[in-house]
Amino acid sequence: MYIVKRLLTMLLTIWVITTLTFVVMHAIPGDPFASDSDVLPEEVLNNMRAKFNLDQPLPVQYVLYLKNLASFDLGPSIESETRDVNTLIAEGLPASALLGFQALVIAIVFGMALGIIASLFHNRTIDYGAMAVAILGISIPSFILAPLLIKFFAVKWGMLPVASWGTWQHTILPSVALAAGPLAIIARFTRSSMLEVLKQNYMKTADAKGLGTAGIIVKHGIRNAVIPVISFMGPLVAHLLTGTFVIEKIFAIPGLGKYFVDSIFNRDYPVILGTTIFFSVVLIVTLFLIDLSYRLIDPRIKLTSRGD
Amino acid sequence: MSITWNKRFAGLLVFILILSVLSACSGGSKTSSTEGVKQEITLNALSEPPSLDPALATDTTSGWILDHLYEGLYMKNKSGDSVKGLAKDVKVSADKKVYTFKLRDDAEWSDGDPVTAGDFEYAWKHVLDPKTGSSFAFYMYYIKGAEAYNKGKGSAADVGVKALDDKTLQVELAAPTSFIEKLLSFWVYYPVKKEAAEGNKNWAGEAKDYVSNGPYKLTEWKHNRSVAIEKNKNYYGKDDVKMEKVTWKMVNDATTYYQMYKSGELDLIQTLPSDVIAQEKDNKEYKVTPYFGTYMYMFNIGKEPFNNQKVREAFNLAIDRKMITDKITQAGEKPAMGFVPYGAEVNGKDFRKEHEKYFTEDVKKAKQLIKEAMKEEGWSKFPETELTYNTLESHKKTAEAVQEMLKKNLGVDVKLTNQEWKTYLDTTKQKNFQMARMGWIGIYVDPTPILDYYLGDSPNNRTNWVNPKYDQLLAQSKKEQNEGKRMELLHQAEDVLMKDLPFLPVYYYSNNYLTSKKFKGIVYPVNRYPYVRWAEKVSE
Repeated sequence: MYIVKRLLTMLLTIWVITTLTFVVMHAIPGDPFASDSDVLPEEVLNNMRAKFNLDQPLPVQYVLYLKNLASFDLGPSIESETRDVNTLIAEGLPASALLGFQALVIAIVFGMALGIIASLFHNRTIDYGAMAVAILGISIPSFILAPLLIKFFAVKWGMLPVASWGTWQHTILPSVALAAGPLAIIARFTRSSMLEVLKQNYMKTADAKGLGTAGIIVKHGIRNAVIPVISFMGPLVAHLLTGTFVIEKIFAIPGLGKYFVDSIFNRDYPVILGTTIFFSVVLIVTLFLIDLSYRLIDPRIKLTSRGD
Repeated sequence: MSITWNKRFAGLLVFILILSVLSACSGGSKTSSTEGVKQEITLNALSEPPSLDPALATDTTSGWILDHLYEGLYMKNKSGDSVKGLAKDVKVSADKKVYTFKLRDDAEWSDGDPVTAGDFEYAWKHVLDPKTGSSFAFYMYYIKGAEAYNKGKGSAADVGVKALDDKTLQVELAAPTSFIEKLLSFWVYYPVKKEAAEGNKNWAGEAKDYVSNGPYKLTEWKHNRSVAIEKNKNYYGKDDVKMEKVTWKMVNDATTYYQMYKSGELDLIQTLPSDVIAQEKDNKEYKVTPYFGTYMYMFNIGKEPFNNQKVREAFNLAIDRKMITDKITQAGEKPAMGFVPYGAEVNGKDFRKEHEKYFTEDVKKAKQLIKEAMKEEGWSKFPETELTYNTLESHKKTAEAVQEMLKKNLGVDVKLTNQEWKTYLDTTKQKNFQMARMGWIGIYVDPTPILDYYLGDSPNNRTNWVNPKYDQLLAQSKKEQNEGKRMELLHQAEDVLMKDLPFLPVYYYSNNYLTSKKFKGIVYPVNRYPYVRWAEKVSE
C-alpha cells in the first residue's frame, strides 16, 4: 500500500514539475530561432516553427508534449538538427553517470573515513587536521580545483591527460574534482553524527560486553551514524549521476551537464523540458530508494503513509 | 638460433612489403623531409558542430569541417580566391544571366560514384525547399525563382537550376551577379549525393551514412567528443592533399584547450583568452589574422538623443578606439572608422584600403557638435542615455571604457545595462534601446554582405535608419558587371552610411591562433578557420 501510494505521488510530482517548467520556460523572453544574423524570411521561420509545433497555441503544445511524454518521447532538439532529446540523453548519460558514480565512491569512502577518524580523535590534532581538509574541500569551488588538478597532474607532471574522453585515465581528474565537495560534506556529517552516537548508552553497553573497539565502531557506531549521511545522499546522487555543467565543460566530457544550462540559453524548449523531467525522475526515484533503505539500516524506522 | 633468424627474416620481409606498398601508394613520391612523419593534425572545434548537412549548417564550426569535406563548382585556393573546383568549364550568356557549367569527368563521391549535375540540382532545390527550413536559403536568392519557391509562393520546377545531362548544369540567375564565383564556393552551394540523402533524413548525422566529394571523407563522429576526417582517395585532386587525417576535438573551456595545446594534445587552437594572449604575444607560434567582421554600437535614431545626427557623430569622434584595441581587447583588432572590414578585394584592390578612415577622432569637434545638437533640439540638459550590451565580460569591459570616454570627453553620462543573449536579441529587434552593441561578420569576403546589414528592409537593421539613396546604390551595385564601377557604387553607398552614422563602429575583428611549430603550410583565410589540406607535419 505504501509503495503504491508513493508511486502515485511520484507521478503527480513529475506532472507538476513538467507543467511548471513548461509555463516558466515559455514566460522567458526570447525565441529559439533568434540570432544576430536575422535573415530568415518570415515564411521560412514559420516552416521551422511548424516543424517543432511552435506555431500552435501554448495549450495545444502542452497537450501534444504530454501525449509524447506518455510514450517516453521527449521530442526533437531545436539546436541539434539531427538528434532528438532521447538520443541526447542516451548519449550523454553514460559519461556523466560513470563520472558521478566514481565521484560518489570516492566521496563516500574517503568522506566517511575522514569523519570517523576525526570523531574518534575528537578535539585532538588529527580531528582538527581532518576538519581543516573538509573545510578546504567545501570552500574551494570546483572551477578552481579542476584547473589546479590539470595544471599539476597533467601539465606539470604529465601523469594524466589534460581533458577529453576515451580511456579510464581521462576519468580520474574529473572524478576527483567532482568528489571534493561532497567528500568534505560527508566527512563533516559523519563526524558530528558519530560524536553523537559515541555518547549513546548502547555504545557503553557494547563496550561493557567486552566487544573490541573495531567491532563496536563498525557494528554499532557506523550503522547508526550513517542515517544523516544517507539523507544527504539523495540529492547528491541525482546531481552527480546526471552530470555537472562546470566539471564537464572544463574537462570536455561528452556528458549531460551542459544541456541543463545551454538549453536555457538557446531556448531549446524540448531540451529544457526533457532534461528537467529526466533529472526529476532520477531525483525522485533516488529519494524513494533511500527511504526504503532507511528501514534496512535502522529497523526502528517504519515506512508509513501519513494517516495509516 | 634458427627461430631468431626466422623471426628476423619475417620482420625484414614485412618491412620490405610495407615499404613497397607505401611507395606504390604514394606513386613513388620524391623523398622529402616529412617522410616517416605521420600526416595527422588535431584541431579544436570548441563544441559539437550543430550540423554537417550543407543545407542546414549556419555556423563557422560546421563550415570549417564542411569546407574540408566538400568541394563546390568553385573552391577557394591558397590565397583565398575563388577558382574553378568541380566546374571545369563555364559558359556565360550575353545577358550574363545564364551560366552553363561543365563538371569535371573525374569528380567522384567518397563512395566512388560520379558526381552528377543532378546532385547539384537536388542539393540546391533541397536548400530552397521551404520544408527544409534552411536558414541560409536566402544566399541562393540570386537564382531565378529561388526566392519565390523558398517563400512558398513558387514551385521547385521554376527554380533556375537544371541538370541538362549528367555533367552539364545550367543556372539561370534572377539578375546579373558579379560575385557569383565567390558565392559558388560557399557551403550552401555544395552538391549532395541524392541517393544518400533521399530517404535517410539523418544521413548527415552519423559518419557511417555520410558521403562527400571533397578532399576528405568523414570517418568518425563521436558526438560531443570528436570528429575525424581522412583523405578521400576518390577525390580528383588527392595529390594536392598533404594532410592524411584531421581530428577535431570539442573542448570548450579556454584554459583547458590552452593546457591541451601546451601538453601537445592539440596542434592548433583559436579564440585565445586575453590572459593567454598577454602571455603568448611574443611567441612565434602566436598568429593574428584579420576576421571579416565589425564590432559596433547601433544607435536607435527613433529615440532621443540619437535622432540628431550631430550627437551620433559626436559620439563617434569622442571614442579612443586604439585605446580599446590596445588595452582591452588586445587580440590584434584594428580600430574601425568605416564599416567594411579589411580583406575584401574588389577589382584587385582591398576595398578598405581605398578609403581607410571616414573621420579622425576629435574631442574638441565632438564637444562642439554636442553643443550644437542641444541647441537645435532645445534640450536644456542632455537626454538620459543608456548603452545596452549582451552579458559577457569582454563586452562589459569595452562598454565601461566607452562610458568612461564619453563622460571624460563629452561630459555625457551613459548608463550601462546588460541582458542575456536571447533576451537581448528580442529587445534590440523590438528597437527597445538607445545604443546597443552588435557584431557583424561577412559570410563571404565582399563588401556586399557587410553593407546589406543597414538596408532599409533588412531584418538586421534595428536602428530605424532608412535611406533610399543607400538602398538604391546597393541595388545598383548588385547588378553592375564592371568590377571597377561596382567598387565605386559600394564606396558611394558606404559614404552615405558614414555620413548619417546610424552606428558607431569600434573595431574590425581579428582571429588569433597558436599553431604548433611541427606544421607548415596551414592556410588562414580571412573569414574562416584555417584550411589544413595543404598543411604538412614536418617533425614528430
